[in-house]
Amino acid sequence: MDLLEEYIKSGRIKLNTHKYHEAYTVHDPCNYVRKSQMAFGQSTADQSRWIAQQCIDPSLYREMCEDSMNNLCCGAGGGAWAMPYDDERLAYGKMKADQIKDTGAEIVVAPCHNCRDQIMKALPKVHDMGNYKETLYLWELVSLCLDFEPWSEAEIEAGHAARDAQFERDGVELEEEE
Amino acid sequence: MPEEAVKEIKVDRKHRKIGNIAPELADRCYTCGTCAGGCPATGLVPGWDPRKAIRAIVLGMEQEVIDSKWPWVCTLCGRCQYQCPMGIQLMRTFRTCRTLRERDKVPGPIHKGTMMNLQRGNNLGIPRDDFLFLLAELGVEMENDEEQPTPGFYVPVDKEGANIIVTINSKEPFGEPDDMKFWWKIFYAAKEDWTVSSTNWEGVNWGLFSGDDPSMKEQVARVIENARRLKCKTILYPE
Repeated sequence: MDLLEEYIKSGRIKLNTHKYHEAYTVHDPCNYVRKSQMAFGQSTADQSRWIAQQCIDPSLYREMCEDSMNNLCCGAGGGAWAMPYDDERLAYGKMKADQIKDTGAEIVVAPCHNCRDQIMKALPKVHDMGNYKETLYLWELVSLCLDFEPWSEAEIEAGHAARDAQFERDGVELEEEE
Repeated sequence: MPEEAVKEIKVDRKHRKIGNIAPELADRCYTCGTCAGGCPATGLVPGWDPRKAIRAIVLGMEQEVIDSKWPWVCTLCGRCQYQCPMGIQLMRTFRTCRTLRERDKVPGPIHKGTMMNLQRGNNLGIPRDDFLFLLAELGVEMENDEEQPTPGFYVPVDKEGANIIVTINSKEPFGEPDDMKFWWKIFYAAKEDWTVSSTNWEGVNWGLFSGDDPSMKEQVARVIENARRLKCKTILYPE
């Protein structure tokens, strides 16, 4: 997240802010917010909100939890996504589903692989999430809003040369494009 | 209450399994219930909540907690520990309960995945050649993307001296390969000098969740070793 923030602030990437017009909210992953704050004195809560608001108009932002340090786990943390206790994981996630529903948001931005899977693939199937339509990784949102020019001819040539040398070294052979 | 009805509970503190956490709990926990009240997992496992689990440990019944589903349905979210007015390390304690579960009784694939990772460098056992071929193929796909082509793009593997070395969540090459392109496109736009290691690239540390400290440390050591070998200044876990 430091990197995304740096790219945006330094102007290394530019974002198209007119791609999304839906209300959105940001989820706080326990590992990057509460636990990171407790272990390292650093939370990503403000950064993730700031980054999301560089992509979608801040007037459409809906807060799901005013106190990010006390926000709720998605229900699939600590390896629970992979564990055989599906009923418990889904029941746990009801509180997250309710939070999302209460925001009225259509898009949930999830800055964590695991939280995204629970919020996108599991919760909408069993819980009423109100206006909810989709979940995006934070970096997915940034990526989809990117406004960039293709590289220059010289950069493309350099890229191809480096790629070919690497494929040669690693013995990677792709079939020729039609 | 008649004298004989009071049954003394004897706690053998010298032979506690949960190291030096439990004695500290015995002195501190006021059983206020802040942890259980604020825990989304309270009520999910009959008979257990954070307060009860801590009390059981205090009273020498740690084996019952270790054998229960509780430490695994708890997602180690840390909310209880954050709020505990007595500073008890509940999350750390429950993770220690996971550590003390026999390895062949760790629920789900997280222990097997950890062993797989130690043997083959990622939790799902994806072979090196398949991985490199997939990265190459996705790179070409991205270059020729109809909506937003990225001419000149490829996935730099084992590139010495790159600015950033990136770990990979094995679920992506395994089942959702296109999702890796989100970050790659950002790197393309930023003209970042980045790379991926051809081996030990796993970014998901299941040892953290299975309570397996030696394996957890080994995985972290490998990620750092990759960065040193390739002389990369920054390690990025792409989350």
